[in-house]
Order: sequence, then C-alpha cells, then structure tokens
Amino acid sequence: MLLKLAWRNLWRNRTRTWLSALVIAIGLVAMIFMDTMMVGMNTNMVKNATDSLMGHAQMHALGFRDEQDVKLTINDLDQALLQLEKHPDLKARSLRIVTQSMLSSSGGGEPVLSLGVDPEEEQLLSKFDEAIIEGEYLDSVSGQKLILGWKLAEKLELGLGDRLVLTAADAESGEMVQELFRLSGIFKTGEEKMDASMVLVARKTLQSMLKLEGRIHQIALRYSKLTQDGTPVNPLKKPDDSSKNELLLWTELMPSLYMISQMTDLSMAIMGTILFLIIALGITNTLLMGLYERMFEFGVIKSIGTTPWQAARIMLFEAVCLGFVSIIVGLILALFVTALFANYGIDYTGIEFSGVTFQEKIYPSYKWSRLVLYPFMSLGFTLLASLYPAFKLWKMLPVEALRKRKF
Amino acid sequence: MEETVIVAHKIFKAFGEGETEIQALRNVDLDIKRGDFAAIVGPSGSGKTTLLNILCGLDNVSSGEIKVSGRSLQEMSGSELAQFRREHIGLVFQAYNLIPVLTVLENIEYVMLLQHVPAAERKERVHTFLAELGLEGKENRFPAELSGGQQQRVAIARAMVSKPDIILADEPTANLDSETGGQLLEMMRKFNEELKMTFVFSTHDPQIMERAKRLITLTDGRIVSDELK
Repeated sequence: MLLKLAWRNLWRNRTRTWLSALVIAIGLVAMIFMDTMMVGMNTNMVKNATDSLMGHAQMHALGFRDEQDVKLTINDLDQALLQLEKHPDLKARSLRIVTQSMLSSSGGGEPVLSLGVDPEEEQLLSKFDEAIIEGEYLDSVSGQKLILGWKLAEKLELGLGDRLVLTAADAESGEMVQELFRLSGIFKTGEEKMDASMVLVARKTLQSMLKLEGRIHQIALRYSKLTQDGTPVNPLKKPDDSSKNELLLWTELMPSLYMISQMTDLSMAIMGTILFLIIALGITNTLLMGLYERMFEFGVIKSIGTTPWQAARIMLFEAVCLGFVSIIVGLILALFVTALFANYGIDYTGIEFSGVTFQEKIYPSYKWSRLVLYPFMSLGFTLLASLYPAFKLWKMLPVEALRKRKF
Repeated sequence: MEETVIVAHKIFKAFGEGETEIQALRNVDLDIKRGDFAAIVGPSGSGKTTLLNILCGLDNVSSGEIKVSGRSLQEMSGSELAQFRREHIGLVFQAYNLIPVLTVLENIEYVMLLQHVPAAERKERVHTFLAELGLEGKENRFPAELSGGQQQRVAIARAMVSKPDIILADEPTANLDSETGGQLLEMMRKFNEELKMTFVFSTHDPQIMERAKRLITLTDGRIVSDELK
C-alpha cells in the first residue's frame, strides 16, 4: 500500500515528475554516452598502437629495450619459438632485427631505426603493406629493397629507385658496416615517428650486414582472443629469469596508453559522482517541495496510525519510483544516442593523443557492466537525494503538520 | 459499571513561553466511559481541538496524565503512539481528509493494511461498512469524485473499520449542510447504540449537542460543566 501510495503521489504533479525524471535521465544518458565514447576511444587507440608496429606483446633479450645494444639478441631462440608455437591463441608473430642506424643518400643523411623483417610475417603484424603510398612493399626476406616513411623521403628528397646506404655497428666487433639498398616503397602510417625515422629492409640482409645470422632482437606477437580492454584473454607465460629473455604485453610496452584507459575509468567515476550529486541536490529540492505541499496530508497519514518509519518509506519509495522511471527513460535515450553515433562514428582522424594518432573514426562501444552500473548509480543517488526529505517526514510531528491547513 | 476508556487527570497545556504563553487547557479532569456519545462544546479558542489532540496522543501535555485503554500516552515514543492510535483510536477530521490518491476502498483499507489484517477479513469489513454507510458501488471512486457528505462517510468508515476503542471526531459536521450532517450523526449514533462504540466530538453543531448523551463544556481551557442527558 505504501508503494502504491508513493507511486500515485509521484504522478500528482506530472509535469514536475517528468522534469525531474528527465534531469536524472539526461545525467544517465550523458554518463553512458561519455563512457561508450571513452571505451570507443580507448579501443581505437589500443588498436592503432598494437596494429601499427608493436603488436599485442613482444619478446626481447633482457636489457635490449633500455640499451638498444645490437648484441642483445633473444637467448635460446629455438626454445622461445617452440614455446610460441604451442600457444593456441597466438595468431601471428614477426621476428625482427632492430637497430639504430644512419641512412644516407645523395641528398644527405638521417639517423633512423632500421627494422629487418620477413615481409610475409610482418604483414600479419603491422600495416606497412597497407600504408604504402608510392612504390611497393618488400617482397622477400632477403634482398636490397628498402621502404621508408613519407616524411623521411621528403627530408632526404628521395624518389623510388634511389640508392641508399645504411650504416650501423655490427654485433661482433662493433665496427661500422654499410649496405647499399634501393628505395622500393614509401609508406604513410600517420604516426609521426614512424613516418619520419623508420626504415624496413629484408631481415636476412640486415642480419648478414650486422653479423647476426640466426639471431633476432625482437619477436612481435599478435593474439587471436582479446578482452574488451585489448589485453590477451590467455597471455603467454612470462619466461623465467634464467632464460634472460622478457615477454611484455603492450600494457607494459606502452604504459602511458594503458594508464590512459585506467585513468579514464577513474575520471568517469569522479565525473559521474559530481554529475549525479548535482542532480541529487535538484531531486532533493523537488521532493522537499512535494513534502511541503502535502504536509497536511502527511499529518493525516501519520495521525491515523502510520509510524514515522512507514511515513519515511513513502518518501523513499517515491524516490525509487522516480529513479526507475528515469532509468527507463535514460536507458532508452542512451541506447538511441549511442546507436546513432556507433553507426556514423565520430571523426577524430589525424589527431594525436598520448603518442597515438587516430587513424579511424571513433565508434562508441558499450561495456555492458556499465549499463548496469550507471542506472544503479542513478538509483542510488536518487535514493540519497530522498534521505533528507524522508528524515524530515520521519521527524515531522503530525499535530504540527495538521496545523498547516486552515478550515 | 462501565469501563473507563479515557482518563485525563489534571491536564495542563500551554503554548509559547513567558509573556507569549497561551494556556490552552487548565487542570482538565475527564473520564470517558465505553459507550459514551459525548460532545465537547465551547466557544472558539476554548481548547476543544487541543483536548482532542491530547486525548489521541497527537499533542503532548505540559503536565498531567492521560491514559487511554489503560495505557499512559506520555510514556510512548512517536512510533508507539502511531501504532497505539492505529489499534485503539479512530480519528474523524472536520474536512474529511481522505488520502486523495487512494480510492474509497483503499482509503478504508489503509489502516487495516497497516494492521496486517488478512485480505478476506479486510474485504468483508470494508463491504460491511460500505453497505452500512450507503457507499456501495463507490468503492473505486477517488475522494474528489464524491460529495462532501460521502467523503465524510468514507472518513467515518476509515476510522471505524479497524474496530478502535474510541472514535474522536473534530467538528465532523462543520463542512456539511445540516441535512447531511444530521444523517451522519444518526449513523454514528446507530453505531454507538448497536456496536457500543465510544464517540467523543468537539463541536459547535447544535444537532450534535442535541443528540449527544453527554455534554462537556469548555471555557478558556477549563471544563465548566459536564452533564449527562
């Protein structure tokens, strides 16, 4: 009966109730939409970062990432590869030689990061083949072809077919060695660093040049099963310290990107709390207005035997009913708005954020748990908003309330 | 000997303090017996409503003692008082004061629901009173759809349906025309006669004064006469 009373009371002033419900609903829509945007943005950023070069994980010799020492190759490569082959969720791998080097042409020289790759393997890891804007992608694990970024080509005033010399220190003596290449393709990834200072050559050629036959600096990995956060569902076991190799997920390789996604959750929680607190204050005001308008009526209700707690429950039930109406309206609106943007996307292409350039439109995406969390937050804050009016009602003396009406 | 339902002993009630103090009741002694049909009369400001409010525990006394159905009201908390009123006292207000969002049926059922009366018994009691009060067929109407007289009948049904020890009615006919007021009074008198239900009214209405079995006159917060008719 108290619930029925609360529900009917709620609809005595329809305009006010709908306005209050709309305020809560809009708060809910804002939270859900912002959240889906953030999820979409994170997914986009992680995808861009892991698709471009990094992969989902990388294996190196311990110390290689810090020192970039050409001698630090993966220890016991055969055993490491055997371990990788056994993993069912591993979709692709690319064995790379990575070295700092100097690229020289008739137009000048530039320090670059040289990657020696197997073009077929690399196709499955990164998108250099798709990023070629002039010429062609590498076609063999050996040979003298070289591809580089468009910015570097502009800087060195290079054209297809130009001859280039790569200079680097070899792994045996540390002495400078040189190799002649021919420019076969120019890529544009959209990533500033890659387009301005990276070259790709055939792995065997670079291994031979650096006296690293049969040795590898880096294995980039791609998993088939990922969580919504972009981390592998079933990651590879980390190598023992005794192996002197390390296997790092992208979250460790690019902690700033991972931090952003974690910070996003925290930011959303803070923003949600502030937003819902503001809304709650408005709801408190509305419920108080309703209480003062019906003071005499509540006096009657209490005088005919409703206990203070039962009277307070009427107010709490009104808030719960208002919360449910708002949630239904809010969820319908949120699903509609999100579906609209998920269909058309939001164009952030070309904008760089935290070292990652957006290559595609952002498509809002749900985390289903949030579709439960935010409505519960709305309901919680609506209930919180009703605590003070409910307390007033609980404390209200019926005789004083009955004096509020003159006959 | 008739059982005493209400015992009020040396009731004193003052509002405000110091120079602004108003003494609403002064040393009021009153016994209400089971089956009484008593009217508290007196000019405006004489303390009738204050006395009724005190008798049902809606208001506190400044000093003195009140016992209703053998229990001291001063010793009860707000929650206990509410439950006590629900079980022992039926209230009828001047302006009907039904809950506007509940139907006739729901208004009458309300107190019984708080008492956790089983549904079948609730239904039976409601229909008995609806029939007695001539409200059959109006169960699903809202108060706004009823005349003043009909609303007051529903209010009486609401007060009586929980079978309280006493009905306290604050000027129940004040907002009704004399014919409707007279009919309602007849019904209450009938319940008093047939069910031995105790009624105490505060009133200015000569019809009530005429039909009352006992007339208690208040002047300036004092009982100046208490006569059985």
